[in-house]
Amino acid sequence: MTAATTTPSSKRSLRARLLAFLAVVGPGFITANVDNDAGGIWIYSVAGAQFGYAMLWTMIPTTVALVVVQEMAARMGAVTGKGLSDLIREEFGFRITFFLMLALVATNFGNIMAEFAGVASSLQLFGVSKYVVVPLAAAFVWVLVVQGTYHSVEKIFLMASGFYVCYIVAGILAHPDWRIATEATLTTPAQVGFRNYGHLYMVIGLVGTTIAPWMQFYLQASVVEKGITPRQYRASRWDVIIGCLFAAMVAWFIIVACAATLNRGGVTGIRDAADAAQALRPLAGQYAYLLFAAGLFNASLFAASILPISTSYAVCEGLGFESGLDKKFHEAPAFYWLYTALIVTGAGVLLIPSFPLTHVMVLSQVVNGVLLPFVLFFMLNLTNDHELMGEHVNSRPFNVVAWITVVAMLGLTIAMLLTQL
Amino acid sequence: MSAVALSELLGAVVRDASGAVRGRVRELAIAPSDHPTRIAYLVVKTDSGDRMLSADALKACGATVRAENDVDAWPKHTPSDGVLLLKRDLLDQQIIDVHGRKVVRVNDVELDSAPVNSHVVLSVTAVDVGARGAIRRLVKGVVPSFTSRALLDRIPPRVIPWQFVDLLETDPARRVKLKIAYEGLSRMHPADIADIVEELPPAEREAVFETIDEEVAAEALEEIDPDIQVKIVESLDSERAAHIVTEMDPDAAADLLGELPEDQSGAILEEMTPEDRQEVSQLLEFGERTAAGRMTIEYIAIPTSALVSDAIDVLRAFEGTREALATVYLTGEGQRLMGAVPLVSIAISSPTTQLSALAEDVVSCPSDTPDDEVANLFDKYNLLTLAVVDEHGRLAGIITADDVIAMLRHRR
Repeated sequence: MTAATTTPSSKRSLRARLLAFLAVVGPGFITANVDNDAGGIWIYSVAGAQFGYAMLWTMIPTTVALVVVQEMAARMGAVTGKGLSDLIREEFGFRITFFLMLALVATNFGNIMAEFAGVASSLQLFGVSKYVVVPLAAAFVWVLVVQGTYHSVEKIFLMASGFYVCYIVAGILAHPDWRIATEATLTTPAQVGFRNYGHLYMVIGLVGTTIAPWMQFYLQASVVEKGITPRQYRASRWDVIIGCLFAAMVAWFIIVACAATLNRGGVTGIRDAADAAQALRPLAGQYAYLLFAAGLFNASLFAASILPISTSYAVCEGLGFESGLDKKFHEAPAFYWLYTALIVTGAGVLLIPSFPLTHVMVLSQVVNGVLLPFVLFFMLNLTNDHELMGEHVNSRPFNVVAWITVVAMLGLTIAMLLTQL
Repeated sequence: MSAVALSELLGAVVRDASGAVRGRVRELAIAPSDHPTRIAYLVVKTDSGDRMLSADALKACGATVRAENDVDAWPKHTPSDGVLLLKRDLLDQQIIDVHGRKVVRVNDVELDSAPVNSHVVLSVTAVDVGARGAIRRLVKGVVPSFTSRALLDRIPPRVIPWQFVDLLETDPARRVKLKIAYEGLSRMHPADIADIVEELPPAEREAVFETIDEEVAAEALEEIDPDIQVKIVESLDSERAAHIVTEMDPDAAADLLGELPEDQSGAILEEMTPEDRQEVSQLLEFGERTAAGRMTIEYIAIPTSALVSDAIDVLRAFEGTREALATVYLTGEGQRLMGAVPLVSIAISSPTTQLSALAEDVVSCPSDTPDDEVANLFDKYNLLTLAVVDEHGRLAGIITADDVIAMLRHRR
């Protein structure tokens, strides 16, 4: 059933359609944008710095893959009204869910650390010590989520998503060669690039960061939380598609900005996302530098706000613990303890002087890569379950695209793991 | 009598009368039309497909299941809608814990196997929602069963006795066959029902509201978050929705109908009796954020000349909400508001006292008074109810304190 059953869609005014869209906008847009977190921004910066415009061709296929996977999660949420971990538990049993959740906590813990590290390094650019920033950021995140309602927090998150525009502005300020950039986006690279180990490594990195397990849990849960019904789903799909397009555009501009400045200026070694901002300063000017630094701060804090709460929800719902911010601490102890522990330890380890941050982050990437195939497999299985999805099961052409996406993602993720080990 | 867990039985080896291993347990079925707790048959996965082993033929039930007849006597398994399958319908699914008043997920099911004559009777006693069931399933097949039993006995159980379990089933035909009527849920306080319903996925919410008594449904619906309220009513067919809406307070019903798309609220009004329809549509016309939009028209108004005994008769016959009973309003000619008598004064006065002798100054407001002002009046005069009058000074309706509290809370 679609909205068209009540009113013929041809007769629906543009205004009515816009209102229907605005009623459901949020989950898809936010999820796609959080994906451009500290780690993502770093990869895009390196891609631009090392290979110039040559990596831009990956943007279109990765966007397609992102839309395909996100659409499945959003559709499941709207049709079943249940979270992904609930569905996995109900269809595949306790033991599988338990290990899946264990892995999710492990990989998300690494992600949370990376986000707080991003917060710290972005403000270090402005000379603020991480011993001040990290505890403040952790407290901010905890209070924001616990005190806010779904609707108020969603508004803040949408604003944070909008703030990614600063990367687009920075890209324009970098005065790139638009013609070459467009051509590089639309044409696949010459064969020679693939034999180059460094080139392949970068492709794997770019694609590997695109789809993460946590996104699927978060997106589906927020579609459910927002109360989107199967009838509203058509509008909700546009939320996913537009969100993914915007996120891809931001990524494109980051690569372009770094290609036009760092690559031309011969700066290719970038250690992290803050380093990219620093390197931009002499080449692209003060404003581009400020925009990059502010963008990184926004992206990291944004992702740090979402990851702990989304992990706690997924784990508690899957394993059957009481969960929800409308509950008091003593009513849902597992939920609040997990949430608090993720923030406190995720931020806390950054303050330990000799903590092997890189090692732990690589390890969590490995878990991420191991977890992803399972999550995607379960999602495909669930979206093809007629009893569960009714008329909203995957169509055959969609399944073909989805399986190709999943297999390609798996291959590249495994390849990325191998390169990291 | 001995206790056995569903997770221990699933996958257990099944031997027939000859003692030969014939297969493994795949499912346990209850037929609620025969017996509410007793297992009717086991589904056994054998070399020749799935077969149904009748519970009457069970000799032992534990790590090994023994039957007293041969495998040929077990009929081929035919799926049926009329039976409750413990693994498919219960394990890992959400249920309503009637006693604890919340929605929980089932980790395991506890059964009891009691010897009766030469065979055993297997029946469900409780569902496990705690760590014991979870860990049992986690270590099953990894740790030897005697070790795991010793370990599990140390974990304090968290179980819900079977009689306090309300199952969630979204298929209406199956609900009838399985005799799922949400009896436990219906006995709860409407506010508790509302809390539970808010936690459920949409299809399960709809199932609850399709099944429970209309009066209970109406009271619970009033307590539910407005957004969810609308979604629930939208999902019901308009006849059922009309029955529930009719049972609601007219002001709550009007608020709800005002939030629905016009074609749907129209269809619901159509299904209502003319009197009910008129009451509700009157309220629907008022601005939502004014006194008239908040008021109810079910109140007590008595002529000033009446006695306390008359008031008591009217109170006895009153069908509106209890909150509206706090004050008895006195009206003169043409429904003009003249005074108010608190319920307490009536209770402690002799039946022959004139009501006008008990009358107090009445606080009232015009029907277009905004929400803020209404709340101020309640605060300033410590009101339980507030009279709303039209432009001619006639009593139009009253606002009760509970509606003001709800209004203030929703505004946050």
